Amino acid sequence: MRFRARSIAILLLSTLSITACSSGGDDDAATTTGTASCAPSSGPVTLTYTTWIPNIEKVVDVWNKANPDIQVKVQTGPNGNGGTYANFFNQLKAGNAPDLGHIEYDALPSFRVQDGLTDLGSCDIVAQSQSKFIDWTWNQVSFGEQGHVYGIPQDAGPMALFYRKDLFEKNNIPVPTTWDEYAAAAEKVKAAGGYITNFSQSDINQFAGLAWQAGAHWFGNDGTNWTVSMTDDATKKVADYWQGLIDKKLVSSVPPWTPEWDNAYNSSSAWTWVSAVWGANSIASGAPKTSGKWAVAPMPQWTAGDKVAGNWGGSSTAVFKTSKHPYEAAKFALWLNTSTEALTLLNKEANLYPATKEGASLPALKEGVDFYGGQKIYDVFAEASTEVKADFTWGPTMTQTYADASDGFKKAVTGQGTLTQALTDAQSKTISTLKSQSIPVKE
Amino acid sequence: MKRHASAIFFFVTPFGVLFALFYLIPIFYAVWQSLYTVKRTGTFGPATDVFGGFVQYREVFTNGPFWESIERVFLFGIVQVPVMLGLALFLALLLDSGLVKGKGFFRLAFFLPYAVPGVVAAIMWGYLYSPNLSPFTAVTASADLLSPSFVLWAMANVVTWVYIGYNMLIIYSALLAVPTEIYEAAKIDGAGVFRTAWSIKIPMVLPAIVLTTVFSIIGTLQLLAEPQVFRSFSSAVSSTYTPNLTVLSTSAVPNFHLAAAFSVVLALATFILSFAFLKFTQRKGVQ
Amino acid sequence: MAAFKLPKYGAMLVMAVFTLYFLTPLWWLFVASGKKDGQVTEGSPLLPDHFSLGENLSQLFRYNDGIFLRWMANSIAYTVGAALLGTLLAGMCGYALAKYVFRGRELIFNIVLGGVLVPATALALPLFLMFSKVELANTFWAVFLPSLVNPFGVYLGRIYAAASVPDELLEAARIDGSGEVRTFFTLSTRLMAPAFVTIFLFHFVAVWNNFMLPLIMLGNERLFPVTLGLYSWNTQVNQHPELRALVLVGAFVSIVPMVIAFLSLQRFWRSGLGAGSIK
Repeated sequence: MRFRARSIAILLLSTLSITACSSGGDDDAATTTGTASCAPSSGPVTLTYTTWIPNIEKVVDVWNKANPDIQVKVQTGPNGNGGTYANFFNQLKAGNAPDLGHIEYDALPSFRVQDGLTDLGSCDIVAQSQSKFIDWTWNQVSFGEQGHVYGIPQDAGPMALFYRKDLFEKNNIPVPTTWDEYAAAAEKVKAAGGYITNFSQSDINQFAGLAWQAGAHWFGNDGTNWTVSMTDDATKKVADYWQGLIDKKLVSSVPPWTPEWDNAYNSSSAWTWVSAVWGANSIASGAPKTSGKWAVAPMPQWTAGDKVAGNWGGSSTAVFKTSKHPYEAAKFALWLNTSTEALTLLNKEANLYPATKEGASLPALKEGVDFYGGQKIYDVFAEASTEVKADFTWGPTMTQTYADASDGFKKAVTGQGTLTQALTDAQSKTISTLKSQSIPVKE
Repeated sequence: MKRHASAIFFFVTPFGVLFALFYLIPIFYAVWQSLYTVKRTGTFGPATDVFGGFVQYREVFTNGPFWESIERVFLFGIVQVPVMLGLALFLALLLDSGLVKGKGFFRLAFFLPYAVPGVVAAIMWGYLYSPNLSPFTAVTASADLLSPSFVLWAMANVVTWVYIGYNMLIIYSALLAVPTEIYEAAKIDGAGVFRTAWSIKIPMVLPAIVLTTVFSIIGTLQLLAEPQVFRSFSSAVSSTYTPNLTVLSTSAVPNFHLAAAFSVVLALATFILSFAFLKFTQRKGVQ
Repeated sequence: MAAFKLPKYGAMLVMAVFTLYFLTPLWWLFVASGKKDGQVTEGSPLLPDHFSLGENLSQLFRYNDGIFLRWMANSIAYTVGAALLGTLLAGMCGYALAKYVFRGRELIFNIVLGGVLVPATALALPLFLMFSKVELANTFWAVFLPSLVNPFGVYLGRIYAAASVPDELLEAARIDGSGEVRTFFTLSTRLMAPAFVTIFLFHFVAVWNNFMLPLIMLGNERLFPVTLGLYSWNTQVNQHPELRALVLVGAFVSIVPMVIAFLSLQRFWRSGLGAGSIK
């Protein structure tokens, strides 16, 4: 009882000052300079690291055994948009964010806008590692600015075409290499009683990956203003293309990641999936009945003969502004995302696909996969990974942008409105969200 | 009763302190936050909180989706609350009518869904509604329960399923508290089962019904777990489907100030509706 | 007498239909969590074929060093502790509001009732900032302490105390020289026992179901209650589909303690649930 009484008293006292402090915190942050010094700490340090990678403990244990002076305590929770990002924002506001956090590429700008990230550009060890990473992943974490780094790339989601080899062969449908061929195949698949694919209406990331391939630039920023252009020509082209397939009822539109969606693949109702490398595992566990019948081909192209891939997903390990040990944190993040032992474990335990150039040659990624009829599918992705365009930028309020675009997409697949309309709406809502956050934006 | 001051202090203080800490202070903090707005410079400039007066509230009142979500839960409540409470009352009367054997079993069976957490109940029904997974393919094949025109009522069914038994028990217990002499008198007057139910039992349990109605209204306006889970089952549930979801998605942006303003308005709306309902029933002479 | 049979059969039929409505989904959950590898579409949806519940359970309990069992234990610790203590506090407060006339009584009552109206989403962030200030965020206390407060319990406590504790009895106790606090613990609590059970049950369910507060307060997975743990697994099924089977089995296991609590407390809640409606 005594402990409780005391802690309540402390709580009471502290709340009297809570209002003053929480607004003061922002001012403090404003006065510190953007680039943190990156000097090693003296003596042993303990770092905290929050992520949602399953079985990450096994990987961190390896580090902890080898580095008694830099111990890492790992915490796991729901995925980013499921609550961990919201927690990060709250913790940044309260000043108790962990040293390191798992942040997907598309969320990095949000955290940078909230001034939550340490710029690791002044860390020698980080700057020296740039060449190890695939160029476009480095662009995602540096925002294309020389000498600045806001996170260490962790994994990538280069996209390719998963397709039902058996069904395509049985029905004499050639494997599409262009989007035109893909649309033609869709008609044939429909005639054979299936759907060419399931259009992801509530996970906008897939569409973003398709637009990325087509050369879209949804966001831009010139240092003084953000620009939002979710209806640029490239995006419109992609939207109109899929709208056509939806209108002709050539694609199904089951909400992704549901048991129903798994069932569409398991029951051979959907024949292809344009997805990222980690999707290999999604099909394998969601559609066990189709084992051995799938294969992977490069993503269909807009122009025959091109070699361009999109990206879906991928994340970084970032060091939060509040960390007192940026050097040690960076050192750990680099080990986690470049060392062969860590990458091997991450791939084995959590199916992460490395963002480093050498990562593509991990032994596990050189093997044939039984579910895909023994095909060495990762070779396809390794090539795709080098074909992703480097100049795609995410906006600073992606949670809201996704939510709005997905609201519109959901309407479009049920016949109310079109994908382009949804994107137009999402764009104007994004602009007003930016404004309400007083983030400068050019219309 | 001044002489009991120390006893009163002893009884009220522990709860009072905790209530002040974990309800009042957070509420004041939220109201205070809702009066602020952020200012920043440059595309990645750090933000500062500045006093904005009613700026966020202007945003709230011009926010179309928020008011649509209020309308939506209003429609939900107008249909779901009477249906649920009507069924609860009906079942309670049946249990109390003497026509039913094995009362203990039914009471427990009906109450059991209340043991299922909202998140789990929604996941479970989500499966049951999915056209290709449901054991009830006869239903799900003829009408897609997860389509825009049905999903609100599919959710209403989840809420109804969880809470009928709970409401039934409250009403049933109130029925048990009715003195048996009243029934004796009615019997002598020759009133049948239905007469007794209609003109004696229902008026006697009206206070219990009023109570359950108020809690149902509050629950409806604060719908969160069900629509949140249904977002992954149905393409018809948007990120601003209910007011509470709007608060959640706004604070995830993160726009703490606007989220605070949303919740203040939502709490006020809840207060006005529950209060209006209580006043309305009082004027009717129920209590 | 024949005329009486029809309503009787009708009534039993209605009860049977509703029993199916209430229990079929739970039965389905049981069957589905027994399906091998979480393949709910395999075999008959309502008959336990491909049944390997034991295997699924052992997989659930072993996953990530038995984190699920830890979550269950956490849930029980949060819930039982907070409900017991919270019921006592709410009961005391309600009792004082019912049995003593003092200045500000109605004001306190109305403010407390107003607490029911505030959406949990609005309280979460301020609470997190407060607990961060005293460095108690991400600890057991961050979830436990706020869970102690149950305004609805005060309301029930007041109404039931007014109805079941006669003033004359308190007066008699005073004449016998018993202090107010002692009278409460020796005499009034016994009279209010059914109300306490009811408050406890409601409180128990509310804390057990709560996942908003733990979601915001806790970063450490080892402190999660089971609802948050399941939610957190469920957010990862897109990249780690093997978790889906665990979510389903876990959902089933998570309602078992509640069912046991309901069954064993049956005697009490039956008589106590009317408390809220007695006016």
